[in-house]
Amino acid sequence: MKKSKALVLILILMLVFLLGPFLVIILSSFGSEALMKFPPKGFSLKWYDKVFNIKMFRTTFWISLKVGLLATGTALLLGIPVAYTVVRFRFPGKSVIELLFSSPAIVPGLVIGFSLLRFFIYVSNIPIIVGLYLGHTAILLPYTVRVVSASLRNFDPAVEDAAISLGSSRLFSFLSVILPNIRGGVVAAFILAFITSFNNIPVSLFLTGPGVATLPIQMLVYMEYYFDPTIAALSSILIVITVFIVQTAEKLLGISQYV
Amino acid sequence: MSQINIRRTLLLLLFPGGVFLCFFFLAPLLFVLVESFTGLDGGVTLQRYISVLKDPQFRQVYFRTLKIGLIVTPLAVLISYPSAYVINNLSVGRKSALMSLVILPLMTSPVARTFAWIIILGRFGLINQSLRALRLIDEPLRIMYTEGAIVIGLLQLFMPLMVLTLVSALENIPDEVEEAALSLGSGRVGCFFRVIVPLSFDGLIMGVTLVFTGCITAYVTPAILGGSRVLTLSTLMRQQALVLMNWEAATVIAVVMIATTLVLYNSLRLIRPKNL
Amino acid sequence: MAFVELKNIEAGYVKGSPVLKSFSLSVEKGELLSLLGPSGCGKTTTLRTIAGFIMAEKGSVKIGGRDYTRIPPNKRNIGLVFQSYALFPHLSVFNNVAYGLRRRKVDRATIRRKVADVLKLVSLEHFEERLPSQLSGGQMQRVALARSIVIEPDLLLLDEPLSNLDAKLRVEMRAELSRLQRRLGITMIYVTHDQIEALSLSSRIIVINEGTIEQIGTPEVIYQKPATPFVARFMGFDNRLSGTVIRIQDDRVLVNVQGFEIKAILEKIAGLKRGHQVELFFRPDDAALVNEKRENILPVKVNYYNFQGNSIQYSVNCGESELNVVMVGKHDPQKSYEFLCVPADKLIVETRGGG
Repeated sequence: MKKSKALVLILILMLVFLLGPFLVIILSSFGSEALMKFPPKGFSLKWYDKVFNIKMFRTTFWISLKVGLLATGTALLLGIPVAYTVVRFRFPGKSVIELLFSSPAIVPGLVIGFSLLRFFIYVSNIPIIVGLYLGHTAILLPYTVRVVSASLRNFDPAVEDAAISLGSSRLFSFLSVILPNIRGGVVAAFILAFITSFNNIPVSLFLTGPGVATLPIQMLVYMEYYFDPTIAALSSILIVITVFIVQTAEKLLGISQYV
Repeated sequence: MSQINIRRTLLLLLFPGGVFLCFFFLAPLLFVLVESFTGLDGGVTLQRYISVLKDPQFRQVYFRTLKIGLIVTPLAVLISYPSAYVINNLSVGRKSALMSLVILPLMTSPVARTFAWIIILGRFGLINQSLRALRLIDEPLRIMYTEGAIVIGLLQLFMPLMVLTLVSALENIPDEVEEAALSLGSGRVGCFFRVIVPLSFDGLIMGVTLVFTGCITAYVTPAILGGSRVLTLSTLMRQQALVLMNWEAATVIAVVMIATTLVLYNSLRLIRPKNL
Repeated sequence: MAFVELKNIEAGYVKGSPVLKSFSLSVEKGELLSLLGPSGCGKTTTLRTIAGFIMAEKGSVKIGGRDYTRIPPNKRNIGLVFQSYALFPHLSVFNNVAYGLRRRKVDRATIRRKVADVLKLVSLEHFEERLPSQLSGGQMQRVALARSIVIEPDLLLLDEPLSNLDAKLRVEMRAELSRLQRRLGITMIYVTHDQIEALSLSSRIIVINEGTIEQIGTPEVIYQKPATPFVARFMGFDNRLSGTVIRIQDDRVLVNVQGFEIKAILEKIAGLKRGHQVELFFRPDDAALVNEKRENILPVKVNYYNFQGNSIQYSVNCGESELNVVMVGKHDPQKSYEFLCVPADKLIVETRGGG
């Protein structure tokens, strides 16, 4: 069974099914006709030109970047101490804490976004971008906690004890000994969380408003009005960037083990 | 550290994240939950639920959503198991290379991922053009805006999750177990079903849970591939809230979605094969 | 007063179910004391309580006359050596060793000198720039040792430091530890589950079982005169015979085992009277198989034997009991034997059901 050709064939077909569409979209982004046709007719780079000339794409890209970086940073700052606590201590109510910090990944994103919208409207008038930032931080926390916990679990707890016995406080031993050795996990958490935020639609859907949208939301809006290869071009750019990030992160950090 | 010291440290470490989630996750959910039981006069009522649950459109959408999950999940299992098995038997380097490819659909912008299917399934898309070139059809098939299109899109999105959980479950089975089963006269197929599947069963259940709940709550894929013609629970909720401004109905759908997810999440984990 | 004093300690990981209950021990200055026992017996808990990672719920920890019970672990000046070495993977050997000195705000020149001295002491003087991942297991444990002694600790705690090393290296490191301890005169507490390690290194051994002390004594006493059935079995007294006391004379007891009279030397059991049920323990290599009748013999039947090079291990049946006998030297394995003979001073007597 180990070398069965039938099984290998299934794997190859699966890869074609998973990745083929990306190839299709990249090819069709170079077509010259406005009609979405495959195989595309002609060759042109005009759709790429158009992507960079649409102001809303530029604006929303920067919003997505800003929200993604801020939310990821906050989720790491809040999540690393939680991961450390959960891995290093036994305490009553630990399972409740673990459940709390994994549940934003279990509860449907759409419901989280919807609830936040209702809540923000009712409680106070929070600026749209702040609402986005808070919502994104909440859904990223499970990722940072999970990924950092995983790399902490692989790290010998005796090393921390050694640092403490040599005179370090708990905080200093964390900073001087643990953090440098789990930096791969922290970077992996950062990448995963940032990609999750940057790609998010369900939460953002309810939290965006007039003038302030994220890039994926703007892409959805654009698709409702225009149906030309502009989205294919923009998608191709995003796909290439994603492939680059994932491949690099896999080589350096083995990111697939953390997903 | 003394008990008191430990308690203080724990509190200090958990407090910021805990407070954050209480304010910006739990409170809003609770707020919506309470709202869903509140009548116009401010009293407790089931009126909102009754009017939504009585609506035939809601019921149709609800069962369609479950149906889509019930189709996608077994398909994902059927394709992922053999694939995960092959991937797991590769050398470390090749395995990592393949895994980094498999996870791409999860990492790519959902709009990009789903838009690709429009090009493939659309009126002038890859499939229709090919079929026409082969003279198998005269009129283009309508694949877009059907349940089938949604199934295809979700399968691409969630299969990586299934492969990931299965590979990590298979990783934990020592090679010797399979060799022992084979040396004891088990056929290869028998070995797979009697040894490999039971030993990776927890991973399988985990994968099934992730894929099934994922299908039920997915938004972008049904929004683009199903449109407003083939609604699912999430696209219906968005339509009620943002298009029809029917906040009462959206609230109820939100609660129904959470309840369904939680029930599935907790009940699927109870499944255990009989002989384990 | 002893240098290290633990008094009536109650400590553990989960509140309400302590691993150690009213546990006391004392260590003299300059001594190497071993805590010996099976895994889960509480020896590591004891060590972590002394180090300060576990705060005792009750009782007190005193080192050098000072009360350390409530002092946090980073303020104790106690060196720790771990089974897993626990080196800082991202720091060079030099920086690993210098870590504790830097926390103590020692000036740079002194750090250089002290690290160089201690690395020379563990014969790693040319390894300063290496990372832990570039060292062998034995070298890593030397670095760990250097790192913990460079801070001139009041006390050095070693938690199974040799169990990750292979057999040959373990013997080498044992000798080296012994040499270091004598040379530096550091007080050491050494946790192990390996009798040989404890016997060859320690000035005293404490045998622990289920959170309580079974016996304290020098290696010789522990090895030859185990005080309890648990220690006896742990020290290799694998064979057990049941019998009835016939009479007691001075320090000797005569026991009826399956109709034969067996003489044993009585160490400490008070109140033993005629008719009491007792158990006799002895080591496989303290007995011999013979054919002539003499004192302290029992009839046996050889089941099977294992040729082991310089010795032969026999499995014999004596009535209901199955016993092990190891005969060292050149013997003909084919030869048949009728009797088992155990010298009176090699037998340990315990009251039935004790322990």
